[in-house]
Amino acid sequence: MTGFILRRLLLLPFVALGVSVLIFSLLQFLTPAMRASLYIHDPKQLNALPDIIRKYHLDQPAYVQYWDWLTQVAHGDLGWSETAREPVADAIRGYFPATLELGVYSFACILALGIWLGTQSAVHKDRLLDHLSRFTSISGASLPTFVWGLLLLMVFYGHFGWFPPDRLSLAAGLFVRAPGFHPYTGLITIDALLNGQWWIFWDALRHLVLPVATLTYFLTAVLVRITRSSMLETLRTDYVRTARAKGLAQRTVVDKHARRNALIPVITLAGLLFVGLLSGVVITETVFNYPGIGRWGVNASQQLDIPAVTGFALIFSGLLVLGNLCADVLYALVDPRIRLQ
Amino acid sequence: MAAWFLVGVLLVLTSGAGTRATGQSVKNPDTFVTLRYGDPESLDPAYQYDTASYEVVYPNVYETLIGYNGSVLSTYVPRLATEVPSLANGLISKDGLTYTFPIRPGVKFHDGTTMTPEDVRYSTLRFMLQDRDGGPSWLLLSPLVGKESTRDGDKIVVTYAEAAKTVTVQGNNVVFHLAHPYGAFLSIVAAWSFVMPKAWAAAHGDWDGSAGTWQKFNNPKLQDRYAFDHMNGTGPFKLVSWDRQAKEVDLARHDAYWRAPARLSRVVIRDVAEFTNRRLQLQQGDADLIEVDRSDQSKVMGMTDVTIRDDLPRLLIQVLHFNFKIDPTANPDIGSGKLDGSGIPPDFFSDVHVRKAFAYAFDYGTFIRDAYRGKAIQPSGPIIQGLLGYDPSLPKYTFDKNKAAAEFKEAWGGRVWSTGFKFTLTFNTGNTARQIGAQVIKDAVESLNPKFKVDIRNLQWSSFLQLTNAHKGTLYALGWAVDYPDPDDFAQPFLSSKGDYPQRNSYNNPEADRLIKEAAVSSDPAKRKQLYKELTQIAYNDVPSIWAAQPTAFKVMRSWVRGWYWNTVYGGEDYYPLAKQ
Repeated sequence: MTGFILRRLLLLPFVALGVSVLIFSLLQFLTPAMRASLYIHDPKQLNALPDIIRKYHLDQPAYVQYWDWLTQVAHGDLGWSETAREPVADAIRGYFPATLELGVYSFACILALGIWLGTQSAVHKDRLLDHLSRFTSISGASLPTFVWGLLLLMVFYGHFGWFPPDRLSLAAGLFVRAPGFHPYTGLITIDALLNGQWWIFWDALRHLVLPVATLTYFLTAVLVRITRSSMLETLRTDYVRTARAKGLAQRTVVDKHARRNALIPVITLAGLLFVGLLSGVVITETVFNYPGIGRWGVNASQQLDIPAVTGFALIFSGLLVLGNLCADVLYALVDPRIRLQ
Repeated sequence: MAAWFLVGVLLVLTSGAGTRATGQSVKNPDTFVTLRYGDPESLDPAYQYDTASYEVVYPNVYETLIGYNGSVLSTYVPRLATEVPSLANGLISKDGLTYTFPIRPGVKFHDGTTMTPEDVRYSTLRFMLQDRDGGPSWLLLSPLVGKESTRDGDKIVVTYAEAAKTVTVQGNNVVFHLAHPYGAFLSIVAAWSFVMPKAWAAAHGDWDGSAGTWQKFNNPKLQDRYAFDHMNGTGPFKLVSWDRQAKEVDLARHDAYWRAPARLSRVVIRDVAEFTNRRLQLQQGDADLIEVDRSDQSKVMGMTDVTIRDDLPRLLIQVLHFNFKIDPTANPDIGSGKLDGSGIPPDFFSDVHVRKAFAYAFDYGTFIRDAYRGKAIQPSGPIIQGLLGYDPSLPKYTFDKNKAAAEFKEAWGGRVWSTGFKFTLTFNTGNTARQIGAQVIKDAVESLNPKFKVDIRNLQWSSFLQLTNAHKGTLYALGWAVDYPDPDDFAQPFLSSKGDYPQRNSYNNPEADRLIKEAAVSSDPAKRKQLYKELTQIAYNDVPSIWAAQPTAFKVMRSWVRGWYWNTVYGGEDYYPLAKQ
């Protein structure tokens, strides 16, 4: 197992290199003037275009630009992001924990709700609960995220005033930016507890409710369907029939015998789902004005912020490798029949 | 379940959502929250050249020697100077080449140090000599040094001595020596003469003011300067933090301000991209003022305890530009590249009859109604309402299909009408007004003759930039917003052969060049007024562009906001007089 994990981890630098080459190759389809748009926002600046192309070496051959970038990365510098207005590494350090926090809470809710609903749906196949859970999950996947997000925002913030947008309220935001608050992890709920500031914890949690609810509703569907079909298959197996024949209670049969085996494909999916969740939060982050990496990544892509896009792609390619690795390892741990070679 | 939930949502929404904040008491009474879209690019007063940055920089954190008198742009009030120079008080020399500013004593920077005339001199030189590509340095370089830039390509073409002699300290006065008389100089000083402490800048790695080192600090990248994300001005508010991830700037009251301290203790300016989010925060009282597009105006009308200030004059113009000499190389927008009914020749728009025909075929009324809900006026030329020389009685093109057809029949010896044409009009993606303008002209022109075909193509900003840079635009939509409220800031970019648009579009009229130069150096308002009227007439005769609209602005804020006023030059609000009651 250790050897397998190490081998997969050793792949990471090669994946990163491949991704960076791919991005730089794709960028060659853009002319220097197009790439200079990152620095020119107004018609007043049009005349500075040739100077800007020269200043940022946008007219250099691709391999020269790539080599410059690679040398920079070798010195631990991922470059400067014009869209984040800070170094790419700092931007990732700042944005990623926010998305991770949103992702972790959402993922926990998605897993809990998806597995529970999927199980109930299978156990009560073709009955009301099954229909309801299928309808809910399918409608969640069908409804555009921004529509659902805005609806939640209008009701629970606009009408009731319960769950505001942004990551923190005005007072809490000023407090966490003050020198007395130490950002240990960048995850505000955790940092608040570590700093002993319960009010910040509750404030952050209040701000997480709606984006988490939006993502949960949107992403639970796939998990419900996979869990349901896997459970249905498992419930039809001989050993489950034997367990029932032995007179075990329905709950014991479902929870202890069937579900554990039914979860094997769910685990594979969950690993990828988590990575997908982190990279797919763009709309949610925009609707709720949540300062995460997804929103920044899209903004950077739209404005052709090349260092940012490259840094962003590197992070997510790494995450994808790690997500797959976790899924493989969990797969082996859950199913003793599978051994990693 | 989901269906029931949606029904529930609709019931809730229709049963009075949005009324919760009725009669709400003032939230955060000492803190003002503005939600806008777009975050600052830089907080360095010599680097920033965008509205989001300008809002923070001026007039809230940095100040200028003289300022605008509230909403009035034509008269000035003393700020960091104790007097506004004029010919009458002798602070402007009779030849119009020397401007003397007595510097206000005892003004404190945010770090507690006292401002000196040397700080003013240093800040002015720094503003000019930093001169980043596409930055604002030309605004002072041009009248003082007589050059638009410190560089020609990569080569530095201005010496320290050349720049230093233009701004000198004489006792407690700072004296500006102009390269040539320039009637708009005070207007530029009012908007761009920011002052920061020399010692503070130098202590943080910025230029130390010496003659031998300035070249190292010329044309920096965004992140190269400490002042990029640190501020030390004299204004009523000081920077607390710029959270670039939350896209939020926090300002706190400067208690040692030379005037009475501001009434607000805190100002928060946050970038919120989603309109509904901004609107809901305003409704809940968590925001005091929000930015709203004209197309969303109906969604904020009728909101309880919300005030809309409408019809605010704006120095901004939307224009459709004719390219007189289109680059035909691999240019799909000109079709066949010939006047054969399937394209246009590269010099299609060099015929004034073609341009006049398009100007008559543009339905100004429909454009203003659809793009701006009727909240705009049709200008006669680049000298728009609010500028010296604007005269509504000057001729302007009106939507007239008969006249348009008549002009088309005369164009290119009658060949345009008989063979027809086809080309693609471009605008940048996401600009709804320009999209509507493009559609309006397409509909009208195509209705004149079945052989006329105008396609519309929206381009991402990057592609649009590429297109205009390569002189490949045919008829394209772009605008212009004020740098300083003087007609020269509009005449130059649109009508001078060295201006931004004529250079791109190969428009050249020596008479226009002469008038622009003459108007710029004159300090006689009556004479300048006459010259700009003549330039407007040239703009009418030559039709280098279709002067489509001068839109007005509107602001949406909570009714508890007091002391607000409008000034079109500011990037945002002047928070100094504001209060919440």
